[in-house]
Amino acid sequence: MSEPILQVQDLRLGFATDSGSVPVLHGLSYTLEKGKVLAVVGESGSGKTVHALSLLKLLPPNARIEGGKIIYQGKNLLTMKESSLRHIRGKKIAMIFQDPGSSLNPVLTIGEQLCETLHAHQKISKTASRKRAVELLTQVGITDAEKRLNDYPFQFSGGMCQRVMIAMALALSPDILIADEPTTALDVTIQAQILTLIKNLQKQNGMSVIFITHNLAVAAQIADEVLVLYAGQCMEQAPAAQLFSRPLHPYTQGLLGSLASVRQKTDKLSVIAGNPPRPGDKTEGCPFAARCPKAFEKCYKACPPLYEQAGRSTRCYLQEGK
Amino acid sequence: MTNAIVVKQLYKTYEHKPWLGTKTQKEVLQGIDLTLPRGKVLGLVGESGCGKSTLCKVILGIEPATSGTVLINGQNTSGLSVRQWRVMRRQMQVVFQDPYASLDPRFSVRKLLSEPLDIHGLYAHKQDREEYLRELLRAVQLDAAFLDRYPHEFSGGQRQRIAIARALALNPQILIADEPVSALDVSVQAQILNLLKEIQRQRNLSILFVTHDFAVARFLCDDIAVMQNGQIVEYTTAETLFEHPQAAYTKKLLAAVPSVEGR
Repeated sequence: MSEPILQVQDLRLGFATDSGSVPVLHGLSYTLEKGKVLAVVGESGSGKTVHALSLLKLLPPNARIEGGKIIYQGKNLLTMKESSLRHIRGKKIAMIFQDPGSSLNPVLTIGEQLCETLHAHQKISKTASRKRAVELLTQVGITDAEKRLNDYPFQFSGGMCQRVMIAMALALSPDILIADEPTTALDVTIQAQILTLIKNLQKQNGMSVIFITHNLAVAAQIADEVLVLYAGQCMEQAPAAQLFSRPLHPYTQGLLGSLASVRQKTDKLSVIAGNPPRPGDKTEGCPFAARCPKAFEKCYKACPPLYEQAGRSTRCYLQEGK
Repeated sequence: MTNAIVVKQLYKTYEHKPWLGTKTQKEVLQGIDLTLPRGKVLGLVGESGCGKSTLCKVILGIEPATSGTVLINGQNTSGLSVRQWRVMRRQMQVVFQDPYASLDPRFSVRKLLSEPLDIHGLYAHKQDREEYLRELLRAVQLDAAFLDRYPHEFSGGQRQRIAIARALALNPQILIADEPVSALDVSVQAQILNLLKEIQRQRNLSILFVTHDFAVARFLCDDIAVMQNGQIVEYTTAETLFEHPQAAYTKKLLAAVPSVEGR
């Protein structure tokens, strides 16, 4: 029996702009289970990155949390004092970002940056932290780690920088790793290596991972559970195997259908008409209704609730009463 | 029948002269041979830094080659004057990766699409011009009412359609597309890919299609060249490449492609 490690309940978030508040997340709820990988899949503007940042309260200054709870170890992270949050951020919940090149400090050596994390959270001697840094780099597959500690980020390739980021995130053996598009900036071969690395480390350390991506194929590769985000709402959540073999929401079906395949030649790709809504676009009913091939009258009037059945939930009237 | 593009033994070396120290050379293209037949789509696949974009630049005449020849519709491009290049570019246009960077934000769609026509003195009559601009927008499945709007009013997919319309304005025979869908949202990529395929068939365009995405290459390309470190490691028809890849590097790349099928 798996136990929940992180619970997000009805998270509402908006950005304050000159023309009023622009809502980005409209009541997002999910549960991350211990030792599982949850992939959050969405297009640009769907709120996936903002959601990740809100988990650690790393939001930009004009972001406003308008409601909801994020519960970790029985405490709501959203109402926690900054000083207590510091003990969790980086230590219990760690994060890796999309662009490894710009998340490392170019004027500090890799060793200095790795040790900085250790010193921030632990009383540890310089020799010990350096030793631990070597261990960490070796763990993420960087050879000759002892020497490379003295190198600067520009001496590392993109994939290597991402390995360093992962090493840093893992430095304090966090319970939860949030990975925000960690492979988007990388080549496919490097992407495959990084995915395998994250998966292996996750298994070894019994970590839970929230993996944010726009790439369904990557999600298919790594996730146990997938949550499809659209216009700040969960459209569908299901165990990965089920979601990919039998998607229930028309949006998920459309996304999967529109992917070109390496396995076979297709003459014409099926297409989701229109464009994803931008944050702030007002919709009465289901946010996907305007692009949905199966939409009917009801869809334009009120947004459907999440219908739950057999371990998966779908925000679509077509699932009503099934 | 001549080929649209023929590249023979193309070399490109960049020199780096640091302020202090000795100068170093980087061989970005090392003897590239490629042929794009008329009315076909040639895919150029490789990882970042392999020289794909440099090859495009050399073919487009944005960068000079160090040695080797490029023939566009049978004509050698080395030593062409600026004026001769201008004539050449009527036959060959380009679509870039990022439609947020490739459209001037101060230009209306009308001005964006008119610029190439002005340069080449085409459709000078006001009525003809208007008619033609509308036709261009129709060709990329956009509303003619968009002519007086500005790039910021459009989504990424719509912008890429405008960039494609601009490339088609001079009715070129050759299109060079440098990662035209990789900056777009997943649900929009398919729209643009279908559009490119349709336009290619309608106009019998020859397309050099640069991508890092094998699935996209399989959908669109007749032939595929796989590049690694400035060299072509495998060059064959798309069918053969996917069914029977030969080069170890191609096999490695194909194995690394994540897929939603058969997890």
